[in-house]
Amino acid sequence: MKEGFRQAMAWLHTWAGLVFGWLLFAIFLTGTLSYFKDEISHWMQPEVQAHAVDDARSLGVAQNYLQHVAPDAARWIITLPNSRDPGLLVMWQDKLDPGKRGNFNQKTLDPTNAQAVEARDSMGGEFFYRFHFQLQMPHPWGRWLSTFAAMVMFLALITGIITHKKIFKDFFTFRPRKGQRSWLDGHNAVGVLVLPFHLMITYSSLVIFMTMVMPAPILASYGGDARAFFNEVFPASNNAPAQGVPGKLLPLPALYEQARAQWAGGHVGRIAVNNPSDVNASVNMFRAGSDKVVHDFGSVVQFNGTTGELLQVSDEQSLPTLVAGGFFGLHMGHFAGPVLRWLYFICGLAGTAMIGTGLVIWLGKRQLKHAKTAVMPFELRLVEVLNIASMSGLLIAIAAFFWANRLLPVSFAERSGWEVQTFFIAWGLSLLHAVLRRGRQAWVEQLGFAALLFMAVPLLNALTTSQHLGVSLVRGDWAMAGFDLTCLASGAFLAWAAWKMQRRTVPQPKAQRPRPLHLKQEAN
Amino acid sequence: MLLALLMCYAGFTALCLATDRHHGELLHSKPSPRRRQGLRLAGWALLAIAIWPAVSADGWALGLVEWCAVLMLSALLLVLLLPYRPRLALILAGVGLLVSPVAAFAAL
Repeated sequence: MKEGFRQAMAWLHTWAGLVFGWLLFAIFLTGTLSYFKDEISHWMQPEVQAHAVDDARSLGVAQNYLQHVAPDAARWIITLPNSRDPGLLVMWQDKLDPGKRGNFNQKTLDPTNAQAVEARDSMGGEFFYRFHFQLQMPHPWGRWLSTFAAMVMFLALITGIITHKKIFKDFFTFRPRKGQRSWLDGHNAVGVLVLPFHLMITYSSLVIFMTMVMPAPILASYGGDARAFFNEVFPASNNAPAQGVPGKLLPLPALYEQARAQWAGGHVGRIAVNNPSDVNASVNMFRAGSDKVVHDFGSVVQFNGTTGELLQVSDEQSLPTLVAGGFFGLHMGHFAGPVLRWLYFICGLAGTAMIGTGLVIWLGKRQLKHAKTAVMPFELRLVEVLNIASMSGLLIAIAAFFWANRLLPVSFAERSGWEVQTFFIAWGLSLLHAVLRRGRQAWVEQLGFAALLFMAVPLLNALTTSQHLGVSLVRGDWAMAGFDLTCLASGAFLAWAAWKMQRRTVPQPKAQRPRPLHLKQEAN
Repeated sequence: MLLALLMCYAGFTALCLATDRHHGELLHSKPSPRRRQGLRLAGWALLAIAIWPAVSADGWALGLVEWCAVLMLSALLLVLLLPYRPRLALILAGVGLLVSPVAAFAAL
């Protein structure tokens, strides 16, 4: 009976893992990249230069600029630079008739000289972040598919724990250079050792979309009026309407200091000013997500903009929002400093590697049976092609995305759209390549090509911008330098993987299967 | 975080040495039952006590997250080092134990 149960779980683990493995690999890798979303965006918009962070100066510059450019706007939104994202972002919403929403305008400013920066049009790291839960699909479908994939992932984790009999006995075991055995060891090692992360990231992804996945409690309690639920959970700050009497807005840095005092020195991430030219102007200071592990969905301090009167300080979180915010915060890792952020990144890579090794094992096991026949059955060939395209192909696509960012002319129409197109075109071509070439050659060529692309990224950066490693390292711009160095390291790792696989073909004529990448090192 | 990392790494090394297989591989002998018991106890104790430096430096919320992260990383590091550089894996644990009082002192 016991064995029967375990076998059933193994069956489920095998097939759920196979069918969703390719998608999950892409979700995990792009999600892992999203931990460095801001750094990637910084690299992809090199026009926005990094400066020492000085909130008071930034805020003064932003207020001055907006007062000049958009004194009559309905709302200003200022996002302060931080050590990860150097851009001082100002947005303003045009004033329109009541009931209509005005257009948003957006500019990035240089906090040192108060000039608007003409940064190239690029989605930057936002693309990976969006892709990892929307999958470039129309609105609800991508979210549903990725959430469903997360459920399958959760299932695969639990069935994996049940299937893996000797978790504690084999806890420290990794035996390299033993073919199929090593793959299984590696799969178990990255699975078990980083299991807390895997469980946290998968479960929290379900919590993040819980209102979408399980709306029944909301519908039952609020009589189908989901909006009422959201209004209650995320109360909008009540901003006083404009009186129509012109007023003078106080300097924002002073209010900023008061807000920080309310949070015992916490940081301000974003500032929204409603009706900035009105006597009833209101200033909302939103707390930066980097302050706390538990994500607070609306920690805000509100002032009257002309008198400086403190209008509202948001309440402490209730227990349910605390729990949800905890999972949300853990998943996103906004609070993580540089070291912890790298640990998050490594854990994400381990998750990606777990999925990749699982896919390789599935194929390797079955190929052994067909070692003597010259032609592989169609279904195995299909899995092989998809393995290659979903793993090494994705790496090529990511590198192509970075290359497009540097090579497309700055004035190119729909530029950021074309960067994304390049990503998918490269991915599609790698699928075609995997179909046309034999398995092992396809692996070697694609890994080699990806290695080349990644290793050349610092060179490309040096040729196309003035922010090469010599400059960024000297200036201490670690986001820029770190991106270049990580690309270089990833390229070196991929080259090693390609070399390993190439070499493997010679001494091992028995159909020992491709030896693809085993720990996906990825760009910043 | 460094102190927690050093302690976790040493703790996992102790737990690893408490198994017959790895003790044999690393030290070429079979551990006596008492030694095995001692190593196991020391290993678990190190892992558990490593919570303290993390929490005392950064509070419960961040401290626990850091402790978990360090726990996973140190185990991963040890397991990847063992087959390739077993001596280095052991030396690191020893050095870690030696350095940790210094790190603790620096954190005070």
